[in-house]
Amino acid sequence: MKDLRAKVRAFLRSRRFVPAVDAWHGGWDEDFTRDLARHHWVGMTIPRQYGGAGRTFLERWAVTEELLAAGAPVAAHWIADRQVAPSLLAFGTDEQRHAFLPPIARGECFFAIGMSEPDSGSDLASVRTRADRADGGWLLTGTKVWTTGAHRAHGFIVLARTSPQAGADRHAGLSQFIVDLRTPGVTIRPIVSMGGEHHFNEVVLADVFVPDTRVLGRIGDGWRQVTSELGYERSGPERFLSTLPLLAETAAATGRGELPRHPDLGRHIARLAALRHLSHGVASSLQAGRPADTEAALVKVLGTTLEGDIAELADHVGAASPLLRTALLRRPGFTLRGGSGEILRGVIARGLGLRA
Amino acid sequence: MTIDPVLLDLMTSVFADRGPTPHGVLDRALWDTLSSCGLTRLTTPEHSGGSGATWTEAAVLLRAAAARGLALPLAENDLLAGWLLTEAGLPSDDILRTACVLEPAGTARGVPWARDAGRIVALWQTGDGWLVADLDPASVHVTRGTNLAGEPRDDVAADLAATRGVPVACHLAEEFVLRGALARALQMTGAMESVLRLCVTHATTRTQFGRPLARFQPVQHLIADIAAETSLARAAADACVREGLTPLSVAVARSCAGHAATTVVRNAHQVHGAMGTTAEHSLHTLTLAILGWRADYGSLHEWDERLTTAAVTAGGELWALIAPV
Repeated sequence: MKDLRAKVRAFLRSRRFVPAVDAWHGGWDEDFTRDLARHHWVGMTIPRQYGGAGRTFLERWAVTEELLAAGAPVAAHWIADRQVAPSLLAFGTDEQRHAFLPPIARGECFFAIGMSEPDSGSDLASVRTRADRADGGWLLTGTKVWTTGAHRAHGFIVLARTSPQAGADRHAGLSQFIVDLRTPGVTIRPIVSMGGEHHFNEVVLADVFVPDTRVLGRIGDGWRQVTSELGYERSGPERFLSTLPLLAETAAATGRGELPRHPDLGRHIARLAALRHLSHGVASSLQAGRPADTEAALVKVLGTTLEGDIAELADHVGAASPLLRTALLRRPGFTLRGGSGEILRGVIARGLGLRA
Repeated sequence: MTIDPVLLDLMTSVFADRGPTPHGVLDRALWDTLSSCGLTRLTTPEHSGGSGATWTEAAVLLRAAAARGLALPLAENDLLAGWLLTEAGLPSDDILRTACVLEPAGTARGVPWARDAGRIVALWQTGDGWLVADLDPASVHVTRGTNLAGEPRDDVAADLAATRGVPVACHLAEEFVLRGALARALQMTGAMESVLRLCVTHATTRTQFGRPLARFQPVQHLIADIAAETSLARAAADACVREGLTPLSVAVARSCAGHAATTVVRNAHQVHGAMGTTAEHSLHTLTLAILGWRADYGSLHEWDERLTTAAVTAGGELWALIAPV
């Protein structure tokens, strides 16, 4: 594993890019992604038969850590690599795997996620996007929001209601669809962030036809499929390394005497080091097929709080870095995206037996 | 980290039905039982009469005792005194020992369990290097004191001019602090896990406004944060045990445990309400112990400062410091 890390570090030193905070969210660079793919560091866990590198989840964990720590622009392939490829492997048909996994591993096929809606944020089960039966497929109607990269991605995975909510089970009747973002009826509008950046989108679906061959998994099984992947989404290094480039710059500037020394620097480094152990533990559990929902929630609560605290420290000591501005602008999002801190504390409380 | 299941059973059964003694009085009967099971000299080499185990087993033992709120000189006797004697090539036996680093004047403040020790292993610096001696308590002056939890923390004064020591390597003084510090981090995390259990039990059984406390979201979040901080502190201490004690890994463990203590102690008392602050309730046997242990072998600020120094001297290579290859 140390060899692998050393190789990635050598690659990163040889490549020209401006280190950024939160680069897995905002750093869209398709050339960089393809260069990574040539080194087999995109789609690492995809089996060789589908064009991937057939590596373990722990190896991917190490590579993503290195990329994020360097602030490398990895946003283009991030969602396809982290979420869509594992979902296709878990629930996709063989035809779907052959269609999407090889281009994902080549760094040529990019994805977005269509979960949240204007009236469905933390309460995901309340989604209203509807899929109605049509000849040979489904017609999708509804609006998705916070769809990162939809204006540049090829496709997105949509969670939609395939049968009306009946009775108390809010999680029944939901399904997932693989939707080509170039399909007629898809309208993509920017949601501009408070810093003036365009990463998020609103995606309106008006009678968008999705063939049966692009249903992901089983009709009615959407909730289980979505939640079974949360362990990966919540426990990865992107939940504690988003502001590492800023922390490194702050430490270096302190070393040069340009910033006052603050003991929170040490405190944050301790937490980062410990979070790495915790996150690695979750990765090991997932690799072994053990559920780790509560542990993943612990990582995300601690890690995303730390990401914000690092921005806070840099601001407290008067850091002059342009990274600080981005970090402060993005900070509110750290503890919102992928399950808010409050939702995650609820997950932890459930794991402890405090609530049903 | 896994240990021999037979040893684990032994550690579990020996502490069953044992609880904290009032005001830090040493439970001699329990100590003798532990000694007869080979648990008081767990990591001392077998050729010196110990059990020849490692930090992995010691971590389980320290946590098991701490989880029950038991204050025992396990770390002092084995991981510090026993280790120093082994390093110095001095003989050891089943007599209860503590250990300390003496100032040039021959004094040490807040030495754990000095009043109860049959021998006090001292480490001190002279012009010619570091020396170790296995002192008879009759030859030193012990002034009694206690920490926040009532555990003995006594001042010791020895007459160094009249004391002969065995020369040892100079790095032992730093290693002494690292070993003591990690032992306290392990004890703190063991106690924190018990605090978490107490909070869950209390919140699910105590009813207010017609429903269990656990049904109130603010209470759930207080306890979720206890769980999060405890798991982080545990992961850091486990990593030290697994990957070896280094100045950096121990500092990480102590920083995480120390800051976790702030949240764990505050939130646990908040969840328990006024009843948790009484002598009758067992919560304080854990929370006060956690705070007492946090003050041993370096303050929280000192550990954060060590890490800050490491970060600012990393010369722009902060990530390589955190994730060495």
